[in-house]
Amino acid sequence: MSLLHDPEAQQPPRSGLLLLQVLIVALFFSLGLRFWYLQVHKVEEFTAKARGNQLRRVLIRADRGLIRDRHGLLLAENKPAYALTLVREDCEDLDATLSQVSQWTGRPLEEIAERFEQGRAKAKPFEAMVLVDDIPFDLLAVIESNSVFWPGLEIDVRPRREYPYRELLAHVLGYVSVADEEDMDNDPGLSSGDLVGKAGVELVFENRLRGTKGLRQLEVDVSGRILREEIVEEPQAGEHLTLAIDAELQAHAMAQLEGQAGAVVVMEPFSGQVLALVTQPSYDNNMFTTGLSQEQWASLRDDPRHPLQNRVIQSVYPPGSVWKVLMTACGLSSGLLQYSDRYHCPGSYRVGRRVFRCWRSGGHGTVDLMDGLVHSCDVYFYKLGEKLDVDRISEYAFASGFGAPTGIDLPHENGGLVPTREWKERVKGEPWQGGDTLNLSIGQGFTLVNPLQVARFLSALVNGGEILKPNILADAEREVLGELNLDNEDREFILQAMEDTVTRGTARRIYRPDARIGGKTGTAQVIRIGERRERMEDMPYEHRDHAWLASWGIKDDQAYVVVVMVEHGGHGSSGAGPVVKAMYDYLFPLD
Amino acid sequence: MTPVDRRLLAHVNWPLLGLTLILFGVGVLNLYSASGFRLEEGFALNPYYRKQMIWGLLGLGVMILFMVFNYRHIKIMAWPLFVLTIGLLIAVPFWGKTIGGAQRWLSLGFFNLQPSEVAKISVLFLAARILSGKPEKMGMWELIGILVVGFIPAGLIILQPDLGSGMNLLLLLGGIILYRGLKPNVWKVLIVVVPVVMWLFYSYGLKEYQQQRIKTFLNPGEFSQGAGYQIMQSKIAIGSGGLWGKGFLAGTQSQLRFLPERHTDFAVAVFGEEWGFVGSITLLSLFCLFLYSVFATARDAKDRFGSFLAAGVFFYFFWQILINMGMVLGLMPVVGIPLPFLSYGGSNAVVNFCLIGLVLNVSMRRYVFKE
Repeated sequence: MSLLHDPEAQQPPRSGLLLLQVLIVALFFSLGLRFWYLQVHKVEEFTAKARGNQLRRVLIRADRGLIRDRHGLLLAENKPAYALTLVREDCEDLDATLSQVSQWTGRPLEEIAERFEQGRAKAKPFEAMVLVDDIPFDLLAVIESNSVFWPGLEIDVRPRREYPYRELLAHVLGYVSVADEEDMDNDPGLSSGDLVGKAGVELVFENRLRGTKGLRQLEVDVSGRILREEIVEEPQAGEHLTLAIDAELQAHAMAQLEGQAGAVVVMEPFSGQVLALVTQPSYDNNMFTTGLSQEQWASLRDDPRHPLQNRVIQSVYPPGSVWKVLMTACGLSSGLLQYSDRYHCPGSYRVGRRVFRCWRSGGHGTVDLMDGLVHSCDVYFYKLGEKLDVDRISEYAFASGFGAPTGIDLPHENGGLVPTREWKERVKGEPWQGGDTLNLSIGQGFTLVNPLQVARFLSALVNGGEILKPNILADAEREVLGELNLDNEDREFILQAMEDTVTRGTARRIYRPDARIGGKTGTAQVIRIGERRERMEDMPYEHRDHAWLASWGIKDDQAYVVVVMVEHGGHGSSGAGPVVKAMYDYLFPLD
Repeated sequence: MTPVDRRLLAHVNWPLLGLTLILFGVGVLNLYSASGFRLEEGFALNPYYRKQMIWGLLGLGVMILFMVFNYRHIKIMAWPLFVLTIGLLIAVPFWGKTIGGAQRWLSLGFFNLQPSEVAKISVLFLAARILSGKPEKMGMWELIGILVVGFIPAGLIILQPDLGSGMNLLLLLGGIILYRGLKPNVWKVLIVVVPVVMWLFYSYGLKEYQQQRIKTFLNPGEFSQGAGYQIMQSKIAIGSGGLWGKGFLAGTQSQLRFLPERHTDFAVAVFGEEWGFVGSITLLSLFCLFLYSVFATARDAKDRFGSFLAAGVFFYFFWQILINMGMVLGLMPVVGIPLPFLSYGGSNAVVNFCLIGLVLNVSMRRYVFKE
């Protein structure tokens, strides 16, 4: 009993004991529930995050395919270049790093900051973003030796595209440049610093040249040190391409047009392969791969001779008398024209109140079809045109591959224009008139063609009537797009007439005894000069006529179509003839 | 020293002693993993686990010292020890050693004494002595008296500055007060006064970086670096452990050092990552059983003083487990409070063993009067 009165013997406070028990239970359930939430309920989310910490995936660049000419000459190759890149997650002081880069390279800070901002939006975590593309070698050593002080900065060796022949094939090869924001938006396969084709073969065959990137998986610790790496996916190099182009032939043609503006096409009529595709003046496409300055770009764009223009496919001209070959074919196939049809040429032809002149003011006298073509008598074809009329002519022209792109694998081809009644009503707001038909008959007026269309039409005459896709790749499949509506007898007649043009007509300049050569000259008027024609030398350059010479040559088992167009070259024979002749001298060398 | 009675030895609280040794063993094992990190080739170790083992052996020795004398003598020692502690705390700003930017240590030649650790023990002794004096619930004046006694050392520690230890001390004191119980009218006053005091403390008592931690806790997404980053990495470590864990020494968050403070405050995250939910619940259960043993001692003590001593030790461990694990699990702000047995720390380990020795002391003398 006495124990009960001893304060020291009292039982401990009941509420206190209850409190301790409640606390133990609460501790167990609150923390236990939290462990369950994190480790069971959210395990996938946190496992993914742990892997994201531990593993970095890095793309492995694939080598871009090389481009060679038909004899294996390297036309586009990859050279190593040293780019300065930044991994933003590893960078400690971004502002200081960017201004250090600016100080090293001498480029303005705004430019580097802008490049960084552009890349930042697209970059995947831990992806290296390119700040400066091409670091010169001496600067490389400085940056390397200081790199420990600037975490995140890395020198990245990446290929630079180089075109050793520069101007020679700029329009065929095109160029690559570093993918910009728009490219990356449109193509998820591109990342900062990648090269992408922007023109020519580089653009059209981008998918074959690019290859597929590989994937490397890195295991890193918190300071970004790589502990282990493995290649998850090997990169696949892009495909090498071999062009149909013969670079030496191309260089030869290029030299013939030196100092002039114009185009040369050499095509194999039976295979459809394009051996030379020359346009002058040209530009150095290497300028674009290293990044063009504003001034360089402005001077190229504003050059009055338009060096960026690919005159073989992007420029269209009136075909001039070359068109008479098509007129003949159209006439013969329609049955409205016979070999024996004779017309009298007094030197001019009157329709209503307008007088249409023949190029020879004295006239050709009475001529048959053969002589009309050989001597390129305008009056003969005025009369033929009237007989055939515009509908028949334009329909035949379309069917022969004019008025639409040839489909060659080069970008931005201009298909030219074959006028029709509807076209004139729609575009000019006027009805078709008789005079329009006469102009159409001699390849003047509204008609516009590109040199490649002419080459393909001639190829069809030579190869038996097949309208082929002109191929720029050596291994491309021969593709027949259409058939000339012309029987073999008539086709042979036209070839004979073209051969006669070379032996005794307007294209005598390109004659050679050791080969069968056919040709047709053309002189495309740039401006209407009224009644009297001035001598070429008296006219300003930009008013002078364009000179055409479309030809084919066959010797032994070789056959070529050579089409030359010289802008403001004057008469077809004198302006384009020497170039064509030089081409055959190369193609059919005398032993 | 009184010779140890045979009967006393028979009544040693073996479950509590066993749980203590198991938890200590788990802690050293986990520290072994938390000391390591992966290199390109193989594995490197810091010597933390070995140091902890040495401290633990030392602690076991001190624990036996705290067991053998009759705890009733503490009643006489309580006040002198308290005065000595205040003296040591006052000495710290004048002669203290500065380690890691904070002046918390007194050099005693052969080892560095942390007076704030001594303060925990002396406040526990004094609070147990004062509060066990009467059986009824506490009135207002009694509460104010004990708070004044507690706030003197707590204030000195917070000024060092060591907010964690200071808070620990106050929580320990608060726990013992709650164990005793408060009169209803005192509760009414506290409900009004405590929020005001806490707000005043937050606004004027905390340094800016300390306020920042609380803000970070309330809005973790806004701060991806610093404390928010630590909590995030800790949650990733625990969460990615899954049900069964990644295996001993195989935790990527820990071995690749994404987890900060992994051998000290965040040690349990290493454990959670490598042993998974099963391991975490097992560890949590061990801690709860350990607390239950201490609770049982408080319940069965032969006198109120012993009961209050055990209750004080209960709260000493309870708060640390709750706050540390709550922090590591992302339930509480980041405060530098270690987890008993798992976190690396020498003097902390010794104090833990002292207090367990005290509980064993109370426990083995529970039958003496009843017989």
